[in-house]
Amino acid sequence: MRIIIETPQPNDEDVVIVRCSTPDPRLISMLLAFQTANTELTGYLDDKIVRLNYQDVYYFEANENRVFAYCHSKVYEVKYKLYELEELYAPLDFVRCSKSLIVNMEKIESLAPLFSGKLEAHLKNGEKIVISRQYVPSLKAKLGIQEVNG
Amino acid sequence: MIKEFFVSLLHYFVDITTAVLIAAAIYLTVSGQQPNSSLLWEILLSGFVTALPSAALLCFDQKSVRKSLLLWVIHFLLIFFITLMLLKMFGWCSITPLSVLLTFVAVICIYFFTCFVHYLVDRKHTALMNQQLKNRYADKEQVPNPKQ
Repeated sequence: MRIIIETPQPNDEDVVIVRCSTPDPRLISMLLAFQTANTELTGYLDDKIVRLNYQDVYYFEANENRVFAYCHSKVYEVKYKLYELEELYAPLDFVRCSKSLIVNMEKIESLAPLFSGKLEAHLKNGEKIVISRQYVPSLKAKLGIQEVNG
Repeated sequence: MIKEFFVSLLHYFVDITTAVLIAAAIYLTVSGQQPNSSLLWEILLSGFVTALPSAALLCFDQKSVRKSLLLWVIHFLLIFFITLMLLKMFGWCSITPLSVLLTFVAVICIYFFTCFVHYLVDRKHTALMNQQLKNRYADKEQVPNPKQ
């Protein structure tokens, strides 16, 4: 299957056309999930209410029953549970990396191994977060690496 | 979780058994003793018995550094006491202050060997993951635009 990405004319809306003899159910469900995914969420910082774009979020962290969205230099509270965000942003580039963290893969600069089987993700804003052993396989899958031994 | 436990168990079993085999080979060469026919089975059993708590305990994902360190200390002490018990059970040596000290040193060596092997494997996997990350960024920077 060839993938062709074209830039539309300035005032045209974005369109995805699937041209195939038999539609692949995985592709259709992926496109539907992408279409229904809420790409904006409300962030709270002191008295301010801000509309956040998912592309600006580096990672979500749950701390004492509250969930925070970490952006480049600011931290906003969001009124979602972590598992809700995980479901909401699963079609996008977010991946669970520990019990309390979901990271935006677009913001990962590089990865480094730690001695305990965990990984350390170096983010583009200079922050470092830890990826737990049990979530490394899902990160590998998201990167298109297949596990040989499970 | 269960799958991860069994994969970890297999990895720890292979690593620990290899380390114990190396330690046994060095000991037998230095002491000039002839290995007993049951020694290999005893080494395999000791590898399995020590891999079991390793896979079980290190499966727990600790958020705080303090709890994580505590878990590692508990794990180390557990492995140390299991090794002492196995030494007594198999009659590999008598329990004296010197043999306890040597066992302590041997467990530390095996511990570091296992951690080091795991680190090397993780480093190899991480290099592959970093390469995939680079490819993603490269693909996004080179999106073809046929209309230009």
